[in-house]
Amino acid sequence: MAASTPTGIRDEGLTVEQALGAPGTPVGQSNLWKDAWRRYRRNKAAVVAGTTFLVIVLYCIVWPIISPYSGNEVDFSIAKEGPSLAHPFGTDKFGRDLFTRTAEGGRVSILIAFGATFAILAIGVVYGSISGFVGGRLDNGMMRFLDALYGLPYLPFAIITLAIIGHTDKWTMMIALSIASWFTTARIVRGQVITLKENDYVRAAKAVGARWYRILARHLLPNTLGILIIAIFLELPAVILGEAFLSFIGLGISPPDASWGAMAQEGRATYRTHPIEIVVPSIAIASLVICANFIADGLRDALDPRTKET
Amino acid sequence: MALLEVDDLRTHFFTREGVVRAVDGVSFSVEKGKTLGIVGESGCGKSVTALSIMGLIPKPPAQIVSGSVKYEGRDLTRLSERQLEDVRGREIAMIFQDPMTSLNPTLTIGTQITETIRRHYDVSQKQADKKAVELLEKVRIPRAAERLGDYPHRFSGGMRQRVMIAIALSCDPKLLIADEPTTALDVTVQASVLDLLDDLRHEYDMSMIIITHDMGVVAEAADDIIVMYAGQVVEHATTLELFDNPEHPYTEALLGALPQLEGANVREGRLTAIPGRPPDLLAPPKACRFAPRCRYAGSDDCTEHEPELREIRRGHWVRSAHPASERAKTPEPQQVGS
Repeated sequence: MAASTPTGIRDEGLTVEQALGAPGTPVGQSNLWKDAWRRYRRNKAAVVAGTTFLVIVLYCIVWPIISPYSGNEVDFSIAKEGPSLAHPFGTDKFGRDLFTRTAEGGRVSILIAFGATFAILAIGVVYGSISGFVGGRLDNGMMRFLDALYGLPYLPFAIITLAIIGHTDKWTMMIALSIASWFTTARIVRGQVITLKENDYVRAAKAVGARWYRILARHLLPNTLGILIIAIFLELPAVILGEAFLSFIGLGISPPDASWGAMAQEGRATYRTHPIEIVVPSIAIASLVICANFIADGLRDALDPRTKET
Repeated sequence: MALLEVDDLRTHFFTREGVVRAVDGVSFSVEKGKTLGIVGESGCGKSVTALSIMGLIPKPPAQIVSGSVKYEGRDLTRLSERQLEDVRGREIAMIFQDPMTSLNPTLTIGTQITETIRRHYDVSQKQADKKAVELLEKVRIPRAAERLGDYPHRFSGGMRQRVMIAIALSCDPKLLIADEPTTALDVTVQASVLDLLDDLRHEYDMSMIIITHDMGVVAEAADDIIVMYAGQVVEHATTLELFDNPEHPYTEALLGALPQLEGANVREGRLTAIPGRPPDLLAPPKACRFAPRCRYAGSDDCTEHEPELREIRRGHWVRSAHPASERAKTPEPQQVGS
């Protein structure tokens, strides 16, 4: 019964007795997420990136609440100040506190990034799983349609979408950024579903009368979860950069509202005399993107141990 | 009326290379409470027959081109997918060859059993859990209640096959199809799983179809046996009759290939093998499909006319121009088999 030893023994340096307890006692369950977390922790870069990511997100959520300033508070008497104790990132040309404004801009940027990413996943999962699960002619048709859409360049398509909708806010930004970027996710999910549906346990489930929606929801989609979580963190950087780009060229979030892209755009005017105004949002964007990439890397090792066991 | 009557079933695979006649005119019936064994070597159409009964053949490329599968008088081949789903598990259950891959690794054993129960019965999760524990005890899994929350990787192959049996039995089916239930298991485990199946069959008053390539398995478990070759039934008799008086040259050869440990036929040295290989089902031999490997072929026109499945004795059907009892003078001195 104790034949399957928990994989943690070797790593935790336990003896078999310590890990399994006295003979006869039930073996402690080690579940998938515990195992994944253990493997994730072994990747130092991913741990640092994950921590940084959380710190940035927390700062964006919490700081605007406890900050003594408002990000839109104009005070020309303290315009263009350098970093100080009162204003850690200094102030911009209107005297707004950049530390607060960066957090407020980050809220918008991160909200758009996550919103668009989940929209991408939702569309991709629905499209991909239908295509892969039904198969045959429908699959063929849906995939050829996807091939045609693949030719669409992502940013121009987002710009056109924004122009058609006619106004720009957080929600339309999410639509614009997700509308032309779900193709890869759909393909990944389709591939997974096609592989998984050939499994014996799917046939066994059919043999006891399981209906198609049960098979899809119980046996196929949960097994794509690992890949989807990785996909989130692979998709995030692209969306963050897309949002920043659109706002920077003036098509995204526009002043006085802040997003990191919009702040960089404002800072561009004074980058020679007062560079911190463009440097701060740029570093924020860059660090979030880099962190997301490292997290994706760590998650890949954690959730799909076959790829690499270091 | 028999519980299951399969009549002239033909399941063909329409592939790019041509039509593969995997099952080509198979008929048999399973009486209530009886066990039917289907034997034959790999690729003879045993599994496709079983999957055709369940309506689980992959369409396309496979298709049931003719014949009927009557279960309690209802023709399963004419049911819609939705109606079939209600039959599967509830009326006819199936267990598969490989227990290592037939359970979903991401769901607990308990979930996989109770989901099946709740698919067919309107019971609460609590009641389903209780029934799942009973089932696990029935299939002799120790500390059943504790193991409900375990994932499949914590079970050995034999235990997983027991879990598969528990799932198959969860909705009290009247017919259990076991497709090579012990092939992937250790020999010692094989025996215990077969015993378990036989006990449960009596307890639940089920009929059973056991598909195997192991003559030893059917000898113990089956009441009747059909021998399949290249998509056709070549011999059909009760177990005793088949082992005592095999008629078809193929059956004789199969029995002759069994290793004998005691008795008059103990052989020294190498085991006997059947020469040649099974025919390509894309282009099977025109007449008797066993003719190319048959030691009696060629003495008359049996390579020209396809032999019919005929009743050579009461309850003993054979498809051959040269059944053992009609071979007055054996062309070769050495008689194979018992």
